[in-house]
Amino acid sequence: MTKPSLRPETLAEILPIMAEAMATQQPLAIVGANTKSAIGYAVADATLVQLDRWTGVLDYQPEELVLTARAGTPMAEINDLLETNHQMLAFEPPDPRPLFGGDHQGTLGGVLASNASGPRRLTAGAARDFLLGFEAASGRGERFRAGGKVVKNVTGYDLSKLMVGSFGTLALMDEVTLKTLPRPETAISLTFPAADFSAAQNMISAIFATPYEASAAAILPSDMAAKAGLSGDMQVVIRLEGFAVSVADRAEHLLKAFDQGEKRDETESRRLWQDIRDTHLLADEDADIWKISCAPSSGAEVIASLMAEMTAADKSCPYYADWAGGLIWMAAPQYTSAGGNFGDMMREVVAQHGGGFAMRVRTADTNQGLNPHVVPPFQPLDAGRLALHQRIKAAFDPIGILNPGRMHQGI
Amino acid sequence: MQMPEPDASVIARREAILTSLRKIVPAASVVDSEEGRRAYDADGLSAYRQLPLVVVLPETVQQVSDIMRYCHREGIKVVPRGSGTSLSGGALPLADAVLLAMGKFNRILDIDYANRCVVAQPGVTNLAITHAVEDEGFYYAPDPSSQIACSVGGNVAENSGGVHCLKYGLTTNNLLGVEMVTMEGEVVRLGGKHLDAGDYDLLGIMTGSEGLLGVITEVSLRILQKPATRRALLVGFDETATAAQAVGDIIAAGIIPAGMEMMDHLAINAAEDFVHAGYPRDAAALLIIELDGPEVEVDALIGRVDAIVNQAGASSIKISMTEEERMRFWAGRKAAFPAVGRISPDYLCMDGTIPRRALPDMMVRMATLSQKYGLRVANVFHAGDGNLHPLILFDANEPGELQRAEDFGADILRACVEMGGVLTGEHGVGVEKRDLMPIQFSEDDLKQQQRLKCAFDANHLLNPGKVFPQLHRCAELGRLHVHQGKMPFPDLPRF
Ligand SMILES: Cc1cc2nc3c(=O)[nH]c(=O)nc-3n(C[C@H](O)[C@H](O)[C@H](O)COP(=O)(O)OP(=O)(O)OC[C@H]3O[C@@H](n4cnc5c(N)ncnc54)[C@H](O)[C@@H]3O)c2cc1C
Repeated sequence: MTKPSLRPETLAEILPIMAEAMATQQPLAIVGANTKSAIGYAVADATLVQLDRWTGVLDYQPEELVLTARAGTPMAEINDLLETNHQMLAFEPPDPRPLFGGDHQGTLGGVLASNASGPRRLTAGAARDFLLGFEAASGRGERFRAGGKVVKNVTGYDLSKLMVGSFGTLALMDEVTLKTLPRPETAISLTFPAADFSAAQNMISAIFATPYEASAAAILPSDMAAKAGLSGDMQVVIRLEGFAVSVADRAEHLLKAFDQGEKRDETESRRLWQDIRDTHLLADEDADIWKISCAPSSGAEVIASLMAEMTAADKSCPYYADWAGGLIWMAAPQYTSAGGNFGDMMREVVAQHGGGFAMRVRTADTNQGLNPHVVPPFQPLDAGRLALHQRIKAAFDPIGILNPGRMHQGI
Repeated sequence: MQMPEPDASVIARREAILTSLRKIVPAASVVDSEEGRRAYDADGLSAYRQLPLVVVLPETVQQVSDIMRYCHREGIKVVPRGSGTSLSGGALPLADAVLLAMGKFNRILDIDYANRCVVAQPGVTNLAITHAVEDEGFYYAPDPSSQIACSVGGNVAENSGGVHCLKYGLTTNNLLGVEMVTMEGEVVRLGGKHLDAGDYDLLGIMTGSEGLLGVITEVSLRILQKPATRRALLVGFDETATAAQAVGDIIAAGIIPAGMEMMDHLAINAAEDFVHAGYPRDAAALLIIELDGPEVEVDALIGRVDAIVNQAGASSIKISMTEEERMRFWAGRKAAFPAVGRISPDYLCMDGTIPRRALPDMMVRMATLSQKYGLRVANVFHAGDGNLHPLILFDANEPGELQRAEDFGADILRACVEMGGVLTGEHGVGVEKRDLMPIQFSEDDLKQQQRLKCAFDANHLLNPGKVFPQLHRCAELGRLHVHQGKMPFPDLPRF
C-alpha cells in the first residue's frame, strides 16, 4: 500500500526527497493529479509524490506557437487558455474522466508522461511530436534541461521524445515547452455505412488517397455506432477540419465520391469525436479496456483473427477503431471462456499481422498489483529493446526510485 | 578543432583489420587505397578533412552486424556515413576509425499505399522516395534542399527538415520505424507501420542522434497525398522588421503556410543575378509564402495573406497564377547557396533558431558583427519557424579568414541562444558546433545526454568526437553521489 503522500511545490523541494529515497532505496510513486493510475502496475511500497502543485503557465506566445508551463498545470487551465487564443494542442489529449472517473481532467505532465493522444494523432502527430523541451530532475536527483523553446531544434539528443510515454520512470518534468497550433475555423464530420470492418478500412484508404484531407477517421461497429447516436450498420466516421470554405468543398467532393454519406454538423461532430477520443463508448463496460496499435490496414485482420480465436461466448467483446483502423479499443474480460487470457491472444495476433502492441489501460480486477501470473499491462519487450530499456532506466534512475516497475519489471 | 587522439595501436593493426573485414564483406567492398579513401575524407563541411583508416561498404544487415560485432570486440571506432552531405561534420572520418558507408543500401523495399508508408534501405536518396510514389499522387514531405543527394538514413540521423517542415514537420514527425544495428552488433527494430511506441520512444531518440547511437539499416517513412493545389506569394519589404511582423501576423491569423521563407538584401540580389527569378532588387527583405491544399482553400487564403502583408506594409506583392510562376518564385530561394557561391570564393552556412519575434534584433546584431569581422553575410531563413541560415562570405586563401568566419559564426550562434533560441535547427551539431554546446547546455545537461549515449555505446566507439565537447568515461558518468547512507549494490554497473 502507498504511504503518506508528499506534494512538493518546487523542483528544489523534491531534490532532498529524492536524495533520501536513494539513500534508503525507498521508491517514489510519482503522479500528477493521479487520473491515470489505472495504467500500468501499481508501484509497490512507495511514497506517493503528487506533482499537482507544480502549476502555472510561464510563457505563452500564440504567434510563436509556443507555450511553456509547469508540468502540474491542470489540463482544464491549458485548454481554456488555448481556446481563448484560438489555438490548441493538436494531438488532442483525451479527457481521462469518462474512462477513469473523478472530476480532474489531469495535468499537462500526466498527458505527456503517458503520451496520451486523440484522433488527430493520425494526421497531426502524438504528444511526443509536440514537446519541444523541458527541465526535470532525473532519478539521480539532478536537475537537467533538454530541447529548447523554439519549434525547430536538433541540438543534442531529443530527450523530449524519451520523456513522453515514460510514465514518470526516468525523470520528473517540471517546466515543459510545447508547440501549439491554430484551432481549425470549423470541424464537421461525414459518416458512411460499411458492410464490415475490412470494407470500412478500404473506404478510409480510398479517402486518404484523395486530396480532401481528413483530420481523423474512425470505424464504429453498429453497437458502438448506436451508443454514439448513429443508427444502422457499421459506420465510418471522417472528420474534416479547417477553413470553412475548404471544409464545405471537401465535404461536397467526398459525399459525391462515396455513397450514402451523411453530414454531421459542428455540434454533433464535436460530441462524436469526444466519445471516440475519450473511449467514452466503452467506459461503462465491466471488463478490461485494451488499446491495440497496429498498422491501419491490419485492423480488419487483427479483429477477424481475434474473433476466430474466440469461442462463441466471448465474441461479444465490444470494440471500435480510431486512427484509420490503426488503433483498436476493445473491452475484454481477463480470461477467455476457454481459460486462456485475452492479452496474450491479442499480442500474438498483432505480431502475426505486421506488428504493433497491445496495452491494457484499465482493468476490471483491482487486485492485479504485481502478480506475475496476470498478463502484463505493457507489451513485453523483445530482448534487444529490453536491454536498451534497462540501460536507459539505469542512465536516468540508477537506483530505481522513480515509479519502479510501473511499466515493466524494474522499469 | 581538436579531435580525439587517434589510437596508435589500432592504426598499427591496420593490415590485420583489413584482412578481417575482407572476411565479412567482399574484398572489393573494403576500400584500402589512399585514392579510394580520399573520396570519403570529408562531408559537406569541407573545411575539415581526414583520411579514414579504411572505408567499408556493406550491403546486408548481417554484414553490418558482423562488422559492428568485430569492431566492438576489437575496440575499433566506427563512423557511419550516408551521402556525406552533412553540413556539420557528422560524417567526418577519424584516422583510427572504420568509415561505414551505407551507399549500397540503395533499395526501396516496400511501397504500401494502404498504410501510406514506404520502407526503404537507408542509402536511398530523399527525393527517390517521392519519385517512387508520385505517380500514385503521393509524396514524402520533408524536403531538405540537398534532397537529390542526401540519404534517408542520413535524414534520420540528422532529423533533417526542409522548407515545408513548418506545416509538415521534420523527419522525426514523418518516420514510422527503423531497423538499427547497435555497436555490439545487435539488430533492433523500432516502430513499424503502427503508430507510437507503447514503451520508451527509442525511435524518437534515434532520430537526430547523429550516428552516435546505432547504425540505421532500414527506415519506414510516412507518405502523404499530394495537395491538390499549390500557390505562392512573393512579397518585398523595405525593412526586415516589417517582414518579420508580417510573418507573425499570418500565423496569428490562424494560417500555417506550407512554407514561409525570407531572404535579405544581399541574398535577394545574389539569387537574382544567378537565376533571374524576378525578385525585387531594392527590397530589404523578401518573403516567399506558399499555401497548399484544396483549390478553394488556397485561393481564399491567398486573399487573406495578401491583405495581411499589405496591411503590414509590403512594398511589392506578386501572386503566382501558374505552376511555372510558382516554381520561378522558388528558383531564387532554391539556388540561394550556389548563388552566394558565385559572389564569394567560400562561404559558411550557419543554422541557429530564434524565437521569431527576435528577428529584427538579430538582423541588427548580424550587421554589427559583420562590421566587426569585416566579412559579409547573406541571409536566408525558414522564417515561419525562426530557423536562420546566415551565409558568411570569406576567402579560405586569405590567411586567417576561415578562422574569422568561424568566429563570426560562433558569435551568431551565441546570439541565437542569448535571444532564447538554439544552436542548430536542422543541420546538427557534429564537429562544427560541438565546442559551442556549453553555451546552450550546462555541464549537468550534457552529462545526462552522455549517459544516454552510454546506454547504447558504453565504450564510445560509435562516431566519437562529435556532438559532445568533452568525452566522459561512462563509468565516471555513472558514479552517484548518495548523500546519506551507503550506495546500495556498490558493484553493480551504473550508467
Ligand atoms: C547544399 C545542401 C543543402 C542542404 N539543405 C538542407 C536542408 O534544407 N535541411 C536540412 O535539414 N539539411 C540540409 N542539408 C544538410 C544534409 O543534407 C542533411 O543533414 C542530410 O540529412 C544528411 O544526409 P547524408 O545522407 O548526406 O548524411 P551524411 O552526411 O553522410 O551523414 C550525416 C550524419 O548522419 C550519420 N549517418 C548517416 N547515415 C547513417 C546511418 N545509416 N546510420 C546511422 N547514422 C548515419 C553520419 O554518421 C553523420 O553523423 C543540406 C546540405 C547541403 C550540402
